Amino acid sequence: MKLLLRISSILILVLSSCATNKVVKDYKAVPLEKSSLEVTYFSDPTIDYVYKANITVYGKELTGIFIAKKINDTTHRVVLTTEFGNKLLDFEISETDFKVNFILEELDRKMLINTLVTDFRLLLRSHYNIIDQYENDENTVYLALDKSRINHLFVSKSTNRLSQIVHSSKRKEKIKLFFTAKNNIFAENIVIQHQNIKLKIELNYFNQQAN
Amino acid sequence: MKIKIYILVLLLVGFQFKSVAQEQKMSENEIVAFKQSVAVVSKKIKTLSTDFVQYKHLDFLSKDIETSGKMIFKEPNLLLWQYKKPYSYSIVFKNGKILINDEGKKSAVDIGNSKLFGKINKLIVGSVSGDLFDDKEFSITYFKSKDQNVTKFIPKDVTLKKYIKQIELTFDKTDATVVQVKLLESSADFTRIVLKNKVINAKVDEASFTN
Repeated sequence: MKLLLRISSILILVLSSCATNKVVKDYKAVPLEKSSLEVTYFSDPTIDYVYKANITVYGKELTGIFIAKKINDTTHRVVLTTEFGNKLLDFEISETDFKVNFILEELDRKMLINTLVTDFRLLLRSHYNIIDQYENDENTVYLALDKSRINHLFVSKSTNRLSQIVHSSKRKEKIKLFFTAKNNIFAENIVIQHQNIKLKIELNYFNQQAN
Repeated sequence: MKIKIYILVLLLVGFQFKSVAQEQKMSENEIVAFKQSVAVVSKKIKTLSTDFVQYKHLDFLSKDIETSGKMIFKEPNLLLWQYKKPYSYSIVFKNGKILINDEGKKSAVDIGNSKLFGKINKLIVGSVSGDLFDDKEFSITYFKSKDQNVTKFIPKDVTLKKYIKQIELTFDKTDATVVQVKLLESSADFTRIVLKNKVINAKVDEASFTN
Protein backbone atom coordinates (compact mmCIF):
# COMPACT_ATOMS: atom_id res chain seq x y z
CA MET A 1 0.00 0.00 0.00
CA LYS A 2 2.78 2.32 1.02
CA LEU A 3 4.62 1.42 -2.15
CA LEU A 4 1.55 2.06 -4.23
CA LEU A 5 1.17 5.46 -2.66
CA ARG A 6 4.78 6.25 -3.34
CA ILE A 7 4.53 5.13 -6.97
CA SER A 8 1.37 7.06 -7.56
CA SER A 9 2.82 10.21 -6.05
CA ILE A 10 5.91 9.86 -8.21
CA LEU A 11 3.67 9.28 -11.19
CA ILE A 12 1.70 12.44 -10.41
CA LEU A 13 4.90 14.41 -10.10
CA VAL A 14 6.24 13.10 -13.40
CA LEU A 15 2.94 13.61 -15.17
CA SER A 16 2.47 17.13 -13.90
CA SER A 17 5.95 18.16 -14.90
CA CYS A 18 5.30 16.76 -18.35
CA ALA A 19 2.00 18.61 -18.63
CA THR A 20 1.93 20.61 -21.82
CA ASN A 21 2.67 24.26 -21.47
CA LYS A 22 -0.60 25.86 -22.48
CA VAL A 23 0.90 29.24 -23.30
CA VAL A 24 2.89 27.85 -26.21
CA LYS A 25 0.62 24.95 -27.13
CA ASP A 26 0.12 26.21 -30.68
CA TYR A 27 3.81 26.93 -31.13
CA LYS A 28 6.58 24.68 -32.40
CA ALA A 29 9.59 23.90 -30.18
CA VAL A 30 12.84 24.94 -31.81
CA PRO A 31 16.49 24.69 -30.70
CA LEU A 32 17.77 27.51 -28.48
CA GLU A 33 19.32 30.35 -30.46
CA LYS A 34 20.58 32.23 -27.45
CA SER A 35 20.98 31.71 -23.75
CA SER A 36 19.85 35.16 -22.67
CA LEU A 37 17.54 37.97 -23.74
CA GLU A 38 17.84 41.67 -22.97
CA VAL A 39 14.77 43.90 -22.77
CA THR A 40 15.62 47.57 -23.13
CA TYR A 41 12.29 49.38 -22.56
CA PHE A 42 13.20 50.67 -19.07
CA SER A 43 16.94 50.23 -19.13
CA ASP A 44 18.35 53.66 -19.99
CA PRO A 45 19.47 55.35 -16.75
CA THR A 46 19.38 58.80 -18.38
CA ILE A 47 15.66 58.60 -19.20
CA ASP A 48 12.79 59.53 -16.87
CA TYR A 49 10.11 57.08 -17.97
CA VAL A 50 6.82 58.93 -17.42
CA TYR A 51 3.41 57.42 -18.19
CA LYS A 52 -0.23 58.29 -17.68
CA ALA A 53 -1.60 55.38 -15.68
CA ASN A 54 -5.12 53.96 -15.63
CA ILE A 55 -5.68 51.24 -13.08
CA THR A 56 -8.88 49.22 -13.05
CA VAL A 57 -9.30 47.13 -9.95
CA TYR A 58 -12.52 45.16 -9.39
CA GLY A 59 -14.47 47.63 -11.49
CA LYS A 60 -13.02 50.70 -9.81
CA GLU A 61 -10.88 53.09 -11.76
CA LEU A 62 -7.83 54.93 -10.47
CA THR A 63 -5.77 57.23 -12.60
CA GLY A 64 -2.48 58.98 -12.14
CA ILE A 65 1.09 59.30 -13.30
CA PHE A 66 3.53 56.39 -13.32
CA ILE A 67 7.22 57.23 -13.15
CA ALA A 68 10.14 54.79 -13.41
CA LYS A 69 13.85 55.42 -13.48
CA LYS A 70 16.85 53.13 -13.40
CA ILE A 71 18.90 54.43 -10.47
CA ASN A 72 21.75 51.89 -10.53
CA ASP A 73 22.76 48.59 -12.20
CA THR A 74 20.20 46.54 -10.35
CA THR A 75 17.49 48.88 -9.17
CA HIS A 76 14.61 51.00 -10.47
CA ARG A 77 12.79 53.72 -8.56
CA VAL A 78 9.04 53.56 -9.20
CA VAL A 79 6.62 56.29 -8.18
CA LEU A 80 2.89 56.60 -8.69
CA THR A 81 1.29 60.01 -8.21
CA THR A 82 -2.13 61.51 -8.82
CA GLU A 83 -2.57 63.90 -11.76
CA PHE A 84 -2.13 66.70 -9.23
CA GLY A 85 1.25 65.36 -8.26
CA ASN A 86 0.64 63.80 -4.85
CA LYS A 87 2.62 60.68 -4.28
CA LEU A 88 0.61 57.53 -3.82
CA LEU A 89 3.57 55.20 -3.60
CA ASP A 90 7.33 55.25 -3.99
CA PHE A 91 9.23 51.94 -4.35
CA GLU A 92 12.76 50.81 -5.12
CA ILE A 93 12.70 47.50 -6.93
CA SER A 94 15.41 45.08 -8.05
CA GLU A 95 15.08 41.47 -9.24
CA THR A 96 15.66 40.15 -5.75
CA ASP A 97 14.70 42.94 -3.40
CA PHE A 98 12.35 45.86 -2.87
CA LYS A 99 12.03 48.80 -0.54
CA VAL A 100 8.98 50.94 0.18
CA ASN A 101 10.10 54.56 0.47
CA PHE A 102 6.54 55.78 0.81
CA ILE A 103 3.03 54.45 0.53
CA LEU A 104 -0.19 56.23 1.30
CA GLU A 105 -1.73 54.90 4.49
CA GLU A 106 -4.90 53.83 2.68
CA LEU A 107 -2.94 51.74 0.18
CA ASP A 108 -0.62 50.19 2.73
CA ARG A 109 -1.79 46.58 2.41
CA LYS A 110 0.70 43.75 2.14
CA MET A 111 -1.20 41.95 -0.61
CA LEU A 112 -1.48 45.08 -2.73
CA ILE A 113 2.20 45.89 -2.30
CA ASN A 114 3.27 42.35 -3.23
CA THR A 115 1.03 42.34 -6.29
CA LEU A 116 2.39 45.66 -7.50
CA VAL A 117 6.00 44.67 -6.83
CA THR A 118 5.52 41.50 -8.92
CA ASP A 119 3.95 43.53 -11.73
CA PHE A 120 6.59 46.25 -11.70
CA ARG A 121 9.38 43.70 -11.57
CA LEU A 122 8.04 42.02 -14.71
CA LEU A 123 7.67 45.40 -16.33
CA LEU A 124 11.16 46.66 -15.51
CA ARG A 125 13.27 43.53 -15.73
CA SER A 126 15.88 43.70 -18.46
CA HIS A 127 17.78 40.40 -18.33
CA TYR A 128 16.39 36.89 -18.83
CA ASN A 129 18.18 33.52 -18.94
CA ILE A 130 16.47 31.50 -21.64
CA ILE A 131 15.74 27.78 -21.13
CA ASP A 132 13.45 26.98 -24.05
CA GLN A 133 12.42 28.42 -27.36
CA TYR A 134 9.26 28.13 -29.48
CA GLU A 135 7.98 29.84 -32.59
CA ASN A 136 5.21 30.29 -35.10
CA ASP A 137 5.08 32.46 -38.23
CA GLU A 138 4.79 35.75 -36.28
CA ASN A 139 6.60 35.30 -33.01
CA THR A 140 9.53 33.69 -31.33
CA VAL A 141 8.74 32.76 -27.75
CA TYR A 142 11.56 32.53 -25.22
CA LEU A 143 10.97 30.79 -21.91
CA ALA A 144 12.74 31.92 -18.76
CA LEU A 145 12.39 30.58 -15.23
CA ASP A 146 11.20 33.00 -12.56
CA LYS A 147 11.45 31.10 -9.26
CA SER A 148 8.59 28.57 -9.48
CA ARG A 149 7.01 30.46 -12.36
CA ILE A 150 7.81 30.78 -16.05
CA ASN A 151 8.06 33.96 -18.10
CA HIS A 152 7.16 33.59 -21.76
CA LEU A 153 8.69 36.36 -23.80
CA PHE A 154 7.05 36.95 -27.16
CA VAL A 155 9.32 38.67 -29.65
CA SER A 156 7.77 39.74 -32.94
CA LYS A 157 9.62 38.35 -35.94
CA SER A 158 8.84 41.38 -38.08
CA THR A 159 10.09 44.04 -35.64
CA ASN A 160 12.40 41.96 -33.44
CA ARG A 161 10.84 43.68 -30.40
CA LEU A 162 9.29 42.27 -27.27
CA SER A 163 5.50 42.45 -27.65
CA GLN A 164 4.20 40.33 -24.81
CA ILE A 165 5.20 38.63 -21.56
CA VAL A 166 3.09 35.84 -20.11
CA HIS A 167 3.94 35.09 -16.51
CA SER A 168 2.54 31.67 -15.63
CA SER A 169 2.70 28.75 -13.27
CA LYS A 170 3.19 25.34 -14.86
CA ARG A 171 -0.52 25.13 -15.57
CA LYS A 172 -2.05 28.59 -15.48
CA GLU A 173 -1.44 32.00 -16.92
CA LYS A 174 -1.16 34.53 -14.08
CA ILE A 175 -0.19 37.88 -15.59
CA LYS A 176 0.07 39.13 -19.15
CA LEU A 177 1.97 42.21 -20.23
CA PHE A 178 1.44 43.73 -23.66
CA PHE A 179 3.92 46.19 -25.12
CA THR A 180 3.40 48.51 -28.06
CA ALA A 181 6.67 50.08 -29.13
CA LYS A 182 8.06 51.96 -32.11
CA ASN A 183 11.64 51.71 -30.86
CA ASN A 184 13.75 49.80 -28.38
CA ILE A 185 14.17 52.73 -25.96
CA PHE A 186 10.66 52.80 -24.53
CA ALA A 187 7.22 51.31 -25.13
CA GLU A 188 4.44 53.82 -25.89
CA ASN A 189 1.67 51.70 -24.50
CA ILE A 190 1.82 48.94 -21.92
CA VAL A 191 -1.02 46.87 -20.52
CA ILE A 192 -0.58 44.67 -17.46
CA GLN A 193 -3.52 42.29 -17.28
CA HIS A 194 -3.99 39.91 -14.39
CA GLN A 195 -5.66 36.60 -15.23
CA ASN A 196 -6.71 35.51 -11.73
CA ILE A 197 -7.71 38.81 -10.12
CA LYS A 198 -9.60 41.71 -11.64
CA LEU A 199 -6.69 44.05 -12.03
CA LYS A 200 -5.56 45.86 -15.14
CA ILE A 201 -2.90 48.54 -15.36
CA GLU A 202 -2.60 50.56 -18.55
CA LEU A 203 0.33 52.88 -19.13
CA ASN A 204 0.62 55.47 -21.89
CA TYR A 205 3.95 57.19 -22.39
CA PHE A 206 3.75 60.94 -22.41
CA ASN A 207 6.16 63.09 -24.20
CA GLN A 208 6.86 66.16 -22.13
CA GLN A 209 8.44 67.90 -25.10
CA ALA A 210 4.88 68.20 -26.39
CA ASN A 211 4.20 70.99 -23.92
CA MET B 1 -15.41 53.89 -2.57
CA LYS B 2 -13.42 54.98 0.43
CA ILE B 3 -10.17 54.65 -1.45
CA LYS B 4 -11.55 56.58 -4.37
CA ILE B 5 -12.47 59.45 -2.08
CA TYR B 6 -9.02 59.40 -0.53
CA ILE B 7 -7.43 59.44 -3.94
CA LEU B 8 -9.59 62.35 -4.92
CA VAL B 9 -8.60 64.16 -1.77
CA LEU B 10 -5.05 63.65 -2.77
CA LEU B 11 -5.45 64.84 -6.23
CA LEU B 12 -7.22 67.90 -5.16
CA VAL B 13 -4.78 68.66 -2.49
CA GLY B 14 -2.00 68.16 -4.94
CA PHE B 15 -0.55 71.61 -5.01
CA GLN B 16 3.42 73.19 -3.61
CA PHE B 17 6.86 75.48 -4.08
CA LYS B 18 10.55 76.15 -3.30
CA SER B 19 11.78 79.11 -1.34
CA VAL B 20 12.37 82.30 -3.20
CA ALA B 21 15.88 83.62 -2.94
CA GLN B 22 16.56 86.39 -0.41
CA GLU B 23 13.36 85.88 1.51
CA GLN B 24 12.93 88.03 4.58
CA LYS B 25 10.32 87.79 7.28
CA MET B 26 7.67 90.51 7.14
CA SER B 27 7.20 92.83 10.10
CA GLU B 28 3.84 92.95 11.91
CA ASN B 29 2.88 96.15 10.09
CA GLU B 30 3.83 94.68 6.73
CA ILE B 31 1.70 91.61 7.43
CA VAL B 32 -1.34 93.75 8.21
CA ALA B 33 -0.88 95.83 5.05
CA PHE B 34 -0.23 92.76 2.90
CA LYS B 35 -3.30 90.87 4.16
CA GLN B 36 -5.41 93.93 3.57
CA SER B 37 -4.27 94.35 -0.03
CA VAL B 38 -4.90 90.66 -0.78
CA ALA B 39 -8.33 90.82 0.87
CA VAL B 40 -9.31 93.83 -1.25
CA VAL B 41 -8.40 91.95 -4.43
CA SER B 42 -9.86 88.57 -3.50
CA LYS B 43 -13.17 90.06 -2.28
CA LYS B 44 -13.73 91.48 -5.73
CA ILE B 45 -13.40 88.08 -7.38
CA LYS B 46 -16.71 86.77 -8.75
CA THR B 47 -15.13 84.67 -11.47
CA LEU B 48 -11.57 83.79 -12.18
CA SER B 49 -9.96 81.92 -15.03
CA THR B 50 -6.30 81.20 -15.45
CA ASP B 51 -3.86 79.04 -17.38
CA PHE B 52 -1.43 77.01 -15.33
CA VAL B 53 1.74 75.00 -15.72
CA GLN B 54 2.36 72.30 -13.15
CA TYR B 55 5.89 71.12 -12.37
CA LYS B 56 6.17 67.92 -10.40
CA HIS B 57 9.58 67.78 -8.78
CA LEU B 58 10.95 64.45 -7.65
CA ASP B 59 14.55 64.55 -6.54
CA PHE B 60 15.63 61.43 -8.43
CA LEU B 61 14.35 62.59 -11.82
CA SER B 62 16.53 64.50 -14.27
CA LYS B 63 13.77 67.02 -14.89
CA ASP B 64 10.41 68.03 -13.50
CA ILE B 65 7.28 66.47 -14.98
CA GLU B 66 5.42 69.23 -16.75
CA THR B 67 1.67 69.28 -17.31
CA SER B 68 -0.52 72.25 -18.15
CA GLY B 69 -4.08 73.42 -18.54
CA LYS B 70 -6.75 75.79 -17.37
CA MET B 71 -8.68 76.55 -14.19
CA ILE B 72 -12.02 78.34 -13.93
CA PHE B 73 -13.81 79.41 -10.75
CA LYS B 74 -17.21 80.95 -10.35
CA GLU B 75 -18.79 82.11 -7.12
CA PRO B 76 -19.85 80.61 -4.78
CA ASN B 77 -18.30 77.20 -5.43
CA LEU B 78 -18.11 76.10 -9.04
CA LEU B 79 -14.65 74.95 -9.94
CA LEU B 80 -13.05 73.42 -13.03
CA TRP B 81 -9.49 72.13 -13.02
CA GLN B 82 -8.49 70.95 -16.48
CA TYR B 83 -5.26 69.43 -17.80
CA LYS B 84 -4.82 69.80 -21.54
CA LYS B 85 -1.23 68.75 -22.09
CA PRO B 86 0.17 66.17 -22.45
CA TYR B 87 -3.18 64.50 -21.75
CA SER B 88 -6.74 65.58 -21.30
CA TYR B 89 -8.10 65.21 -17.78
CA SER B 90 -10.53 67.45 -15.98
CA ILE B 91 -12.29 67.62 -12.68
CA VAL B 92 -15.32 69.74 -11.74
CA PHE B 93 -16.72 70.61 -8.31
CA LYS B 94 -20.42 71.17 -8.61
CA ASN B 95 -23.41 70.83 -6.26
CA GLY B 96 -21.68 68.49 -3.81
CA LYS B 97 -20.35 66.32 -6.61
CA ILE B 98 -17.00 65.80 -8.23
CA LEU B 99 -17.19 65.12 -11.95
CA ILE B 100 -14.18 63.61 -13.66
CA ASN B 101 -13.48 63.41 -17.36
CA ASP B 102 -10.45 61.30 -18.19
CA GLU B 103 -9.82 61.43 -21.95
CA GLY B 104 -13.58 61.23 -22.52
CA LYS B 105 -14.19 58.61 -19.86
CA LYS B 106 -16.58 60.18 -17.36
CA SER B 107 -17.23 59.42 -13.73
CA ALA B 108 -18.76 61.15 -10.72
CA VAL B 109 -18.31 60.98 -7.00
CA ASP B 110 -20.92 62.22 -4.57
CA ILE B 111 -19.13 64.05 -1.81
CA GLY B 112 -22.33 65.08 -0.03
CA ASN B 113 -21.59 67.23 2.95
CA SER B 114 -18.04 65.99 3.46
CA LYS B 115 -16.29 68.54 5.64
CA LEU B 116 -12.91 67.59 4.24
CA PHE B 117 -14.06 68.26 0.69
CA GLY B 118 -15.47 71.58 1.75
CA LYS B 119 -12.04 72.41 3.08
CA ILE B 120 -10.31 71.27 -0.09
CA ASN B 121 -12.63 73.23 -2.34
CA LYS B 122 -11.97 76.28 -0.18
CA LEU B 123 -8.27 75.52 -0.27
CA ILE B 124 -8.04 75.39 -4.06
CA VAL B 125 -10.09 78.52 -4.56
CA GLY B 126 -8.25 80.22 -1.70
CA SER B 127 -4.89 79.23 -3.18
CA VAL B 128 -5.68 80.79 -6.49
CA SER B 129 -7.52 83.85 -5.21
CA GLY B 130 -5.19 84.38 -2.27
CA ASP B 131 -7.95 84.22 0.31
CA LEU B 132 -6.47 81.57 2.56
CA PHE B 133 -5.67 83.50 5.71
CA ASP B 134 -7.55 81.40 8.20
CA ASP B 135 -5.58 81.13 11.43
CA LYS B 136 -7.90 78.41 12.71
CA GLU B 137 -6.98 76.15 9.77
CA PHE B 138 -3.31 77.00 9.26
CA SER B 139 -0.19 78.21 11.02
CA ILE B 140 0.82 81.04 8.72
CA THR B 141 4.17 82.75 8.23
CA TYR B 142 4.88 85.75 5.98
CA PHE B 143 7.95 86.54 3.88
CA LYS B 144 8.94 89.12 1.32
CA SER B 145 11.50 89.40 -1.47
CA LYS B 146 12.17 92.16 -3.97
CA ASP B 147 9.17 91.61 -6.25
CA GLN B 148 7.13 89.06 -4.38
CA ASN B 149 5.44 88.22 -1.13
CA VAL B 150 5.40 84.62 0.04
CA THR B 151 3.08 83.09 2.60
CA LYS B 152 3.57 79.64 4.06
CA PHE B 153 0.61 77.68 5.39
CA ILE B 154 0.95 74.62 7.58
CA PRO B 155 -2.37 72.78 7.96
CA LYS B 156 -3.70 72.24 11.49
CA ASP B 157 -6.30 69.67 10.46
CA VAL B 158 -4.87 66.20 11.16
CA THR B 159 -6.41 64.62 8.06
CA LEU B 160 -5.35 67.42 5.76
CA LYS B 161 -1.88 67.32 7.25
CA LYS B 162 -1.43 63.74 6.09
CA TYR B 163 -1.62 64.90 2.50
CA ILE B 164 0.03 68.30 2.60
CA LYS B 165 2.99 69.28 4.70
CA GLN B 166 2.95 72.89 3.64
CA ILE B 167 1.38 75.20 1.07
CA GLU B 168 3.29 78.21 -0.20
CA LEU B 169 1.58 80.99 -2.07
CA THR B 170 3.63 83.52 -3.97
CA PHE B 171 2.01 86.90 -4.62
CA ASP B 172 3.00 89.51 -7.14
CA LYS B 173 3.79 92.66 -5.18
CA THR B 174 2.22 95.07 -7.62
CA ASP B 175 -1.26 93.55 -8.05
CA ALA B 176 -1.47 91.34 -4.91
CA THR B 177 -2.57 88.27 -6.88
CA VAL B 178 -1.22 84.72 -6.60
CA VAL B 179 1.37 83.82 -9.23
CA GLN B 180 2.51 80.50 -7.85
CA VAL B 181 1.19 77.73 -5.63
CA LYS B 182 3.58 75.22 -4.19
CA LEU B 183 2.61 72.11 -2.28
CA LEU B 184 5.28 70.35 -0.30
CA GLU B 185 5.12 66.68 0.48
CA SER B 186 6.70 65.17 3.54
CA SER B 187 9.96 64.57 1.70
CA ALA B 188 11.92 67.05 -0.42
CA ASP B 189 9.51 66.45 -3.28
CA PHE B 190 6.94 69.04 -4.26
CA THR B 191 4.44 70.21 -6.85
CA ARG B 192 4.76 73.76 -8.15
CA ILE B 193 1.94 75.38 -10.07
CA VAL B 194 2.59 78.60 -11.96
CA LEU B 195 -0.48 80.65 -12.83
CA LYS B 196 -0.53 82.88 -15.87
CA ASN B 197 -2.94 84.78 -18.14
CA LYS B 198 -5.25 85.32 -15.20
CA VAL B 199 -8.59 86.95 -15.97
CA ILE B 200 -10.75 88.22 -13.14
CA ASN B 201 -14.53 88.75 -13.39
CA ALA B 202 -14.91 88.00 -17.07
CA LYS B 203 -18.24 86.41 -17.97
CA VAL B 204 -18.07 82.69 -17.26
CA ASP B 205 -20.67 80.38 -18.74
CA GLU B 206 -22.24 77.70 -16.51
CA ALA B 207 -21.57 75.27 -19.34
CA SER B 208 -17.87 75.47 -18.52
CA PHE B 209 -18.61 73.29 -15.52
CA THR B 210 -20.48 70.45 -17.20
CA ASN B 211 -17.44 68.24 -17.83
